[in-house]
Amino acid sequence: MQPIPVEADAVIAVPIGDVEFILDLSVFEGPLQLLLHLIESRQLDVLTVPLAEVADAYVEHLTRHPVDAANLSEFVATAAQLIYLKSRRMLPAEPLPPLPDGTDEPDEDELRRRLLEYRALRDAAVKLGERDGIRPLVRREPRDSDLPEAPAEPMSVAILAAALERLASIPEPMSPPPEIVAREITIGQQIGVLRRALSRSGRIVLQSILARCQSRTEAAVTFLATLELVRRRQVTARQDELFGPIVVESLPEAGT
Amino acid sequence: MNDSEIPEDLEVFYEALLFIAERPLSSTELGELAGVPRLQAEAALSSLAERLDEDERGIRLQHHDDAWQLVTAPAVGARLAAYAAREEARLSPAALEALAVVAYRQPCTRGDVERVRGVDSDYVMRSLMHRRLVVEVGRRDTPGRPVLFGTTFTFLERFGLTSIDDLPPLSSEAAQLTALTDSTAGADGE
Repeated sequence: MQPIPVEADAVIAVPIGDVEFILDLSVFEGPLQLLLHLIESRQLDVLTVPLAEVADAYVEHLTRHPVDAANLSEFVATAAQLIYLKSRRMLPAEPLPPLPDGTDEPDEDELRRRLLEYRALRDAAVKLGERDGIRPLVRREPRDSDLPEAPAEPMSVAILAAALERLASIPEPMSPPPEIVAREITIGQQIGVLRRALSRSGRIVLQSILARCQSRTEAAVTFLATLELVRRRQVTARQDELFGPIVVESLPEAGT
Repeated sequence: MNDSEIPEDLEVFYEALLFIAERPLSSTELGELAGVPRLQAEAALSSLAERLDEDERGIRLQHHDDAWQLVTAPAVGARLAAYAAREEARLSPAALEALAVVAYRQPCTRGDVERVRGVDSDYVMRSLMHRRLVVEVGRRDTPGRPVLFGTTFTFLERFGLTSIDDLPPLSSEAAQLTALTDSTAGADGE
């Protein structure tokens, strides 16, 4: 029998090893990662080392280091498997009777196979990481956003000027005396204003309401109130041309 | 289908067409656009890809999942950064592991990734999807019909690959394992 290369007690007894252990083993995401590390850090060959030999080191690690709760059961299952393998090695070499259902017996080959597969893909991941963004391939960038095209109709500058004038006609708020609390305008209030206006004819031009607003804030809130009513499907709003009148109409079901 | 029948200018046409295209084009589309059968289109595209590679031109023809696009050559990728800088956060080792499993075993399920890694991989898979490195490509025909994942053009671009065939080979012992795994995966599916 070869000397057993992995001994949990040995690991604990050697302080240098212990320090290295702790430094290295900050985070192990999965049981295979931990197991592979234990094997590789002892320069053992994954293909030939009896996995049972690593059982103590594995269990030792679990008792001394917190394990990610999400993967705890995986760690414990692997620990159980290792302990089982170890116990079988310690018993006289007599073939065990097969389990009643003939399944579920932890199998060293299966665990080793998973380790090898994990190692191959871990190594591939490291190689991938080395080329991550180092020599990227660049494709043609799309010329424009995929927003729909803006209306191509030519616009006269006069429209802009008129729009500016209308904006300017909304007076700036008179600065209130400091001790008076500024008037708060809520969307709810302005919904009330709009409903009252709509109750007469069922149809209004939004600009006529906006013109009566005493501040830009009030105008903005009134506009938001309109949008809110549209969202609730109580009114429709229509604007046939840019900067044209916005016609707001009650929908039948909005019977308030 | 005889290679010598490919019109000489089909490659030229495709080089030009893919130069102006702003998205990957499928073999079918490319065939229709040139008025040739799909197989002939693919032969011309493969030949174009080879030629660009052999002549060490500044562009390469990349293909993935039956679609094709022109990209810059790997050799100049780093120097293009000044113009096309795409500062991406580096992937974590966990994300790289999951990505490697998908890349080498695609199409594969999240369960496959978790089985190889022995770790719950929900979060990393979602982060890979969020970065558009991995997408759903279908469902496996087993109970529960789990979602199958594959890699994307974004993946190939980021890692400087012209196709999945460009991935560095896994170690030989892992290649043997693949065969084993496939057989057990089939048994699991029953």
